[in-house]
Amino acid sequence: MERKNILNLMVILFFSILLLGLFRLDILQGAKFRKQSDSNCIRLIAQFGARGDILDRNGEVIVDSKISYDVMILPQELSHVDQVISRVSRILGYSVNELKTAFKKNYISNSVPVTVATNIDLKKAIMLGEYKVEEPSVIVQPKPLRHYPYGSLAAHTIGYVNQIDRWRLTKLEDYGYKTKDIVGFGGVEEKYDYYLRQEEGGLSVEVNHRGKFMRVLGFQAPVNGKDVQLTLDLRIQKIVEESLNNKNGSVVMMNPQNGEILALASYPNFNPSVFVNNRTSLISGLFNNPDAPLINRAISSSYPPASVFKLIVSIAALELKKINTSTNYLCQGSTMVGARRFSCWDVHGTEDIFQAIAHSCDVFFYKVGLLVGPQNIHDYAQRLGFGKNVGFELPYETAGFIPSPLWRKLNKFKSWYDGDTANLTIGQGDCLVTPLQATNMTAVFANGGYLLNPYIVKSVGGLDFSAKKKKFTALNLKKNTLAVILKGMRRVVTDSNGTANILSTLPVAVAGKTGTAQVSGKINHGWFVGFFPFEKPKYVICVFLEHGGSGHAAVAVTKQIIEAMSQQKLI
Amino acid sequence: MRNSFLKILVLALIIAILGVLSIYSSTFQKEGAWQDIHLRQMLWLAIGLACFFAMANFNYRKLWDANYFIYGVALFFLLLVFGLGIIRLGAQRWLKFAWFNFQPSEFAKLAIIIFLARYFSRKSVNDISLSSGKFGIFRGIILPFIFVAIPMFLIIEQPDLGSGLMLMLVFVCLLYLTNVRLRYIFTLLVTLILPLPFLWHFLHDYQKQRLLVFLNPNIDPLGAGYTIIQSRIAIGSGGFWGRGWLSGTQSQLYFLPESHTDFIFATFSEQWGFLGSCLLILMYYLIIRQGFIIAQRTQDAFGRLLAYGISLLLALQVFINIAMNMGLAPVVGLPLPLMSYGGSSVLVTFIALGILVNIDRTRNVF
Repeated sequence: MERKNILNLMVILFFSILLLGLFRLDILQGAKFRKQSDSNCIRLIAQFGARGDILDRNGEVIVDSKISYDVMILPQELSHVDQVISRVSRILGYSVNELKTAFKKNYISNSVPVTVATNIDLKKAIMLGEYKVEEPSVIVQPKPLRHYPYGSLAAHTIGYVNQIDRWRLTKLEDYGYKTKDIVGFGGVEEKYDYYLRQEEGGLSVEVNHRGKFMRVLGFQAPVNGKDVQLTLDLRIQKIVEESLNNKNGSVVMMNPQNGEILALASYPNFNPSVFVNNRTSLISGLFNNPDAPLINRAISSSYPPASVFKLIVSIAALELKKINTSTNYLCQGSTMVGARRFSCWDVHGTEDIFQAIAHSCDVFFYKVGLLVGPQNIHDYAQRLGFGKNVGFELPYETAGFIPSPLWRKLNKFKSWYDGDTANLTIGQGDCLVTPLQATNMTAVFANGGYLLNPYIVKSVGGLDFSAKKKKFTALNLKKNTLAVILKGMRRVVTDSNGTANILSTLPVAVAGKTGTAQVSGKINHGWFVGFFPFEKPKYVICVFLEHGGSGHAAVAVTKQIIEAMSQQKLI
Repeated sequence: MRNSFLKILVLALIIAILGVLSIYSSTFQKEGAWQDIHLRQMLWLAIGLACFFAMANFNYRKLWDANYFIYGVALFFLLLVFGLGIIRLGAQRWLKFAWFNFQPSEFAKLAIIIFLARYFSRKSVNDISLSSGKFGIFRGIILPFIFVAIPMFLIIEQPDLGSGLMLMLVFVCLLYLTNVRLRYIFTLLVTLILPLPFLWHFLHDYQKQRLLVFLNPNIDPLGAGYTIIQSRIAIGSGGFWGRGWLSGTQSQLYFLPESHTDFIFATFSEQWGFLGSCLLILMYYLIIRQGFIIAQRTQDAFGRLLAYGISLLLALQVFINIAMNMGLAPVVGLPLPLMSYGGSSVLVTFIALGILVNIDRTRNVF
């Protein structure tokens, strides 16, 4: 071939290479380069909506958001920044060095605004806004922060907010959660996070190669979270927490007619605002505290129910006709069960069912319990909601535990003895219930035999859920059974030797049952469950004092609560 | 006969106008002196067109006689650059005249081609055959090499590696088209390529870095590799249809450096896409093909070599520039003829095209 033809072919070949290269860049990799081109010049400036408020049943705010202002500087030209910082420091009254350190610490790149000061107040924010007119690189960013007007009030019900952790992120990624999102931990904040959480909006802006702002491409308004209204009554909640008066334990109050939780307290508690300000020392103090202040004792921990459990045994015995109102047993302070002596806490003499409930006579119930049998007791306990989750809305509910002979055989490889039955009848041994379960059980007596579904969230975003949440399970108890036990519970208060006799001085008629749970090597737990007014029950109450001494202490707390409530005309 | 004149004129004009549009779009958002840069380019275009018409009517045979003079002038300007040249972007490539800067290396490229065309088309005294067929290695290779090497050395020292190597490439290609034996050409190539590893040490740091970056742009994405990465992004983000004239963020927001000179192809490609870029490359090819056709039908050996030389110069510059825009060649300071901003390049390209047209017009005279 002639040299000129070869050269001609070479030129064609080389130009074909150009076309192929163009094809590769534009067609094969075009999408990738388009994306890179966009990320070169598009920046997002986030704007935050406010998290939804949490309200009580009357619309009182328990938790809301307060707007705080962050000051940011867009460092377009670094030489210019010093001048801007000195102006900002004069307006804020902060030292220049402080701002410069913050600037250096938070600096990412020329095109990303740098936060130099957080949580400045409104007045300074307005002054900075005026300065912004002449210096557009200053950005005053409103940022809503969680605000707790009542501090630690109802802290366990509400929960707290913090940056999302890895475990939650893997779970929630598919629902649009991102790293560094603020999400709820515990309580309503966690359970209803999806509704409470705000939608981030923001500006997308175009910048040039120096990160200098060119124009706004789009704006999406942030959307505030939905408000959640609780069934809690803030007034009662305050009374309850004041009356609990820094004693470890829990108080639950519920409406026995529909299952609305009116107050739910747990102590030790915490102030959720420490998580907002991210005060690390305080937070680690909360996590390391052996008393576990972050645990909601009303639902997340279970305790031996002690004499409160005698109500279950009474129902079982009466329903199964093992005893009637004329059944009598003699209490001489102790009785033999098998080869072991089981003692009563006092010497009661001859007791019928009414007296036995009123005086909480152990001997009577040992004997009745042996008549009924452990399996029946276990079955009735389950029917009244023990040993399984209540199905409550707040997270981390525990089921408690009611032992049975079968369980013992299967899991412990041991036989069930009469002594175990005796222990079970007085709510000791392996038996564990939560204060919420005890409340729910008591409500059965207050409303004439219906097991309820306790709930605490009334409405979300204005949509009332209470009709859906209200759920009754008829237990089909005999009228007579209930009447007998109600009479017994009333006599706990009215009987001069009744264990809650001090409540008889109250202006409202109260009925209930006390309990003192023995804890080996430690101070006893105190229980009181009850309801009032006796004729037309509006409130069920459960007071539990962890290592509080005895049921008597719990009754004293109950008395304070009811006194304060009647003073404020809440009954 | 007039046919090639019209074809070349129309194609060159279209490309040049696209160039002005791209220059306008890449600078219209900049402030101050940048804003009328497209007007200056249009002025150069007008002058270039005038030169084109002038050269089209100027008998190219007269270049034969003037070739030593032209060569001498080119050398003179290149030497002048050393003494008086202004420094821009770290290189001393320009001579300042009244209101414009002149880049002698552009002119030198054309001068070398004229010189070589004449050198290899001399006829022997005894008969009318070309004497180049009988050249030995000294007269066939070494002597012309020395004539090329002097301006090449001056250009590389400016430093402008791209234009310098361009001379060498044109030289080798022209050698290939003469009657010089292939053996000699291979000998030359081998002696040129063998010492390359040693020449590495004589390269400037920025030149070494550019070569390294060419092999992997990501070793220095914000430094030497920045341009090539941004240029590839610009071209690739154009997609099939392009982002439209005056839009396209890479060039409009200055992510792409040198968007109106060496990287104008990326600017153009971002805005006009795969389709526009293909058409542009096609138009360049058509001009070059026209040059080859003219060369082939010219009886005169000088005219033929000159036409080949001009076409090859154009082809090499277009290929290397576009290839470097796409990251297929290392970044060297070569403009895209007819499109890139720069008076010298526009002027010299139009003069070269004018010569080309004139060769076709007067081919039958001899």
